[in-house]
Amino acid sequence: MPQTLPDFSNSVKLKYVKLGYQYLVNHILYLLLVPIMVAILIEVLRLGPDEILNLWKSLHFDLVQILCSSFLIIFIATVYFMSKPRHVYLVDYACYKPPVTCRVPFATFMEHSRLILKNNPKSVEFQMRILERSGLGEETCLPPAIHYIPPTPTMEAARGEAELVIFSAMDSLLQKTGLKPKDIDILIVNCSLFSPTPSLSAMVINKYKLRSNIKSFNLSGMGCSAGLISIDLARDLLQVHPNSNAVVVSTEIITPNYYQGNERAMLLPNCLFRMGGAAILLSNRRRNRSRAKYRLVHVVRTHKGADDKAYRCVFEEEDKEGKVGISLSKDLMAIAGEALKSNITTIGPLVLPASEQLLFLMTLIGRKIFNPKWKPYIPDFKQAFEHFCIHAGGRAVIDELQKNLQLSAEHVEASRMTLHRFGNTSSSSLWYEMSYIEEKGRMKKGDRVWQIAFGSGFKCNSAVWKCNKTIKTTTDNPWSDCIDRYPVHIPEIVKL
Amino acid sequence: MGDQKSRVNVHSVLTQVSSRPSASDETYPLTRLDHAMGHHTIHVIFYYEKSPFGSFDMDPIRVTLSEVLSSYPPVTGRLTRDDAGNWAVKCNDAGVRVLRARVGITLDEWLRSADGNEERDLTVWEDMPEVPNTWSPFRIQLNDFEGGGVAIGLSCTHMHGDLTSLILLFKAFSEAHHGQAITFPPFFKPPAPPDRKFSVNNSKSTSYLEAKLQKQTPSVKMSTATFKFSDSVVKQCLSEIHDKCPDASPFDLLAALFWIRVVHLKGPKHDDHTHSLSLCVDFRRLLQEPLPYGYFGNALNFSLLSLNEEEMDCSMLGRVAELVHCHVSGLKEEEFWATLHWLDLQKEEGGKYAPPFAMYGPEFTCVSMEHMIIGDQPVMYSMNFDSAKPVHVSCHVGNAEGEGLILVMPSAEAGLARTVMVTLPEEETAKLCEDQSILHLKPTMLLRSI
Repeated sequence: MPQTLPDFSNSVKLKYVKLGYQYLVNHILYLLLVPIMVAILIEVLRLGPDEILNLWKSLHFDLVQILCSSFLIIFIATVYFMSKPRHVYLVDYACYKPPVTCRVPFATFMEHSRLILKNNPKSVEFQMRILERSGLGEETCLPPAIHYIPPTPTMEAARGEAELVIFSAMDSLLQKTGLKPKDIDILIVNCSLFSPTPSLSAMVINKYKLRSNIKSFNLSGMGCSAGLISIDLARDLLQVHPNSNAVVVSTEIITPNYYQGNERAMLLPNCLFRMGGAAILLSNRRRNRSRAKYRLVHVVRTHKGADDKAYRCVFEEEDKEGKVGISLSKDLMAIAGEALKSNITTIGPLVLPASEQLLFLMTLIGRKIFNPKWKPYIPDFKQAFEHFCIHAGGRAVIDELQKNLQLSAEHVEASRMTLHRFGNTSSSSLWYEMSYIEEKGRMKKGDRVWQIAFGSGFKCNSAVWKCNKTIKTTTDNPWSDCIDRYPVHIPEIVKL
Repeated sequence: MGDQKSRVNVHSVLTQVSSRPSASDETYPLTRLDHAMGHHTIHVIFYYEKSPFGSFDMDPIRVTLSEVLSSYPPVTGRLTRDDAGNWAVKCNDAGVRVLRARVGITLDEWLRSADGNEERDLTVWEDMPEVPNTWSPFRIQLNDFEGGGVAIGLSCTHMHGDLTSLILLFKAFSEAHHGQAITFPPFFKPPAPPDRKFSVNNSKSTSYLEAKLQKQTPSVKMSTATFKFSDSVVKQCLSEIHDKCPDASPFDLLAALFWIRVVHLKGPKHDDHTHSLSLCVDFRRLLQEPLPYGYFGNALNFSLLSLNEEEMDCSMLGRVAELVHCHVSGLKEEEFWATLHWLDLQKEEGGKYAPPFAMYGPEFTCVSMEHMIIGDQPVMYSMNFDSAKPVHVSCHVGNAEGEGLILVMPSAEAGLARTVMVTLPEEETAKLCEDQSILHLKPTMLLRSI
């Protein structure tokens, strides 16, 4: 008993020390300002009013001097305000909810797998093991073409899925925000694996009869992190174009990419990727400032493509039988960890409070100069953010990030539950996660959200949002009929 | 005439799932009677002038079908063996198989020109594989005709339910499509015998079952013909036999008529001098604690009515109808429980039920669907899609070998009108279609070979 008490009291003492240190460093400017102000006040009181009046009279004020100084001040103020980057607001977003006929229970998935791969029982076993440990639930959805035995991934079916997902998300967004189609100035659509001619952005322009001078972009091939790349592009465009609305549509069209061979590394995406999409409205108009949900603070993009291993770790190629599929390499997690470290190194100084940055710097200096064996200090990102949206790429990704960033179960709850309910919807999964946090009533004004996405290449992209107003729960979102059942406990292995 | 290529062209297969996940790992055991029916399959075909399935893939009607399937977990499950080696349904939501087919002619042309055997192509006839864990016992086939008509064919193993269950499942679907409450909601608790003991030995049904167990029938090529009798004709006929049989129902009349004619057709029997008719009656409402109509499972009973040769030869229609009527109205629930008790006694060591044998046959079997007329309305014709009733409904029973099978079903025309589907060896069906006593009643003939 006496042994444990000192440890406990030590950790309590340490906690208070840490808190004191953080308070000191983060508010150093205020803490320095207070004694200075006190000193001035004492000096003023000591001098007395007459002395001060004499001091004032001794300053000879010339008209020219006054005018020049005031012009200088006005000039500096103008330059400052003009060069400040425009604030980009996220007015609202809408996520797509697939119809119940597209649902894929585990039993249906495994049955189709057995019927289609009947000559490869080992591949079927592999898929079953992946599905058991995937963290997906029984309500994830695949497009109609995949429900056929065998699947019918025609171009028509792929276009059908694209129209269904994108138009539903757009309709929902237009209704939520009251935006008129002719008011859309910038349109960015990202879909990695399906890129028809004319592009998906042309498809949206055709359906909604958008203006002829719209700035439209279609990003394809950029993987699951393309959603944040689109947001970055929209932000850059909104700096150049004042008073504009930008719509970003993030989706992944599953129909043409369902792998029909039996190479194991390529069967993995079949088990995880599911139907989903999101449409987001960004704006730099002043009048949207009061009704916007979030303000975009930072976007940090890191690309590890210069490294060969990182470049090849998610690779689309043909298997031995000539069937095209996406091959995931075994060191995916290690490469993701590296990419994350890179990203954190860039984003850390932008978001971390001074206390954490100082600690990190001291540990870094110490490791370099004094003793390389010191443990590297992992900054505590929980102090910089209230909410985390980690791309629901798979259970392993979420577990890895939870460990690396030392996050609690509640922080990664949005990611895990999105993976369970919707599966890996690629670039739109971050928006389902945001929606989850909002529907749980956890999003308050001033909260900071960190969205992290990984993608082929290998890329790690982050976006930081600041909540503009406390968000009330609504009924027109994909979680409305099931939010009460969440969070659920997801077992390590689901018995199939 | 050689085997002509079927005009029904199946072009895709997919799986339709339920909208809500069922409670996990629930296993729904099948009853003794379900196991006993395992030799057969059931098929029901609903013909509509206008298909309610529009674009198909994204049609909202498929969402209602998913919703309805959520209320029937055993329908979307898969067969598995329990510890005793008996069949049970694992409610794992795997879904039902849906097949889509195209027929190159219009609906009217089909009803005129197709024969009973070709009609079989409108539903799925698949044998249960050895290991049925990836095999869907329920299958829906949507056959699109030229000009917009559709034939919706449902099929399943007789172990899962009887014709009544399948028809009421479809009715629930049509009601859900129109946002109406389901008239006969599904009920999955099998009937429990009351506490009284039943003697097995002198029960009519059980001795009949013993006999069935022994018989083997050679399989003969059968064909089907459909006869539609109008309300006025049946009414007139009933009034003709009123003196002999005052309470006759259309079933009694038609069963008697067809029995007499078929016996006449088959000619004199060599081995024994009795003529037997096996009657299959639904027991849902005949039990003391009535089962709801929505009971999803088998609730029927087979019993035997015998007449010796002399009686048959000189019998009038009225007399035979009277005998059928007395037999059917005399059926008591003791028969049903005694059958179940007998099936229990046939269990092998370890509690495994005996392998199934042919329940329909080997005698000439007659199935009554009178219970499907509730009030004055035939339930079979009440599943409307967009306010259109089905043009025609056919039922088939698979592996019903033996002397023949006749199904007396309600017609689209309400009241006393009936549709009779007769399955006999090929030559006999052809002769029956020309039989004067039947033609005297001016039936509309559908789906027979010309």
